[in-house]
Amino acid sequence: MKGRSQWFEFRLDSGGMLGFMLHRLTGIGLVVYLYLHLALLNQLRQGPAAWDAFVQTMRSPWVLLADSVLLFGILMHGLNGLRLTLLGFGKFLRWQQELFWSSFILAVVLTAWGMLAMH
Amino acid sequence: MNKNGSRMLWLLQVVLGILLILLLGVHWIAQHYLAAEGLRNYAEVAAYLKQPIILALEITFLVVITAHALLGVRAILADLGLQAPLQRALDATLWLIGLFTVLYGIQLVWQIVHQ
Repeated sequence: MKGRSQWFEFRLDSGGMLGFMLHRLTGIGLVVYLYLHLALLNQLRQGPAAWDAFVQTMRSPWVLLADSVLLFGILMHGLNGLRLTLLGFGKFLRWQQELFWSSFILAVVLTAWGMLAMH
Repeated sequence: MNKNGSRMLWLLQVVLGILLILLLGVHWIAQHYLAAEGLRNYAEVAAYLKQPIILALEITFLVVITAHALLGVRAILADLGLQAPLQRALDATLWLIGLFTVLYGIQLVWQIVHQ
């Protein structure tokens, strides 16, 4: 387990440390987004007019840009989570850096594909 | 918490994470790729949630994502080396937040389905 001081040891040469930090940062971001999302869904209680107006706002370019950040966060957290699971079970320990950078590249590619497919 | 307890929570987090990949995948595709213009209007949301299988999937998704999120928050805060009483208070708080979140979601869905 990494102590709090290691949170601030930002080393680009270490895929493991970068993966650890990115996993936690994307995790915190996704928790914040989860509660924001649930709060915004409260618009559904106001009825069809309020919700449909809200949906129109959500189709603006700025929200779509935010969607791409969200999609990247989800993909990076998920792929990196799978990597950490493998490492946690003692698998592919020698390949952890390669797995991290593969996850990162795959998340970037899938984000680009996902955004293009969505619009 | 002893080492065995921490290991069990880690395993639970892994299982929830794998479930989440599937459930979030379904949610994302249904809400953004299958919906016309990328998002559902009110009538479409209501019709979508009135399907029993979808309703069960969405509520399961809410339970799984809430548990995974709050276990993640717990892991991050536990790394700060909390004393036992503070850790117990944190656990109780996270349980309350989790229960509130799930009840809020179920109540919201119930209202939409029965409107």
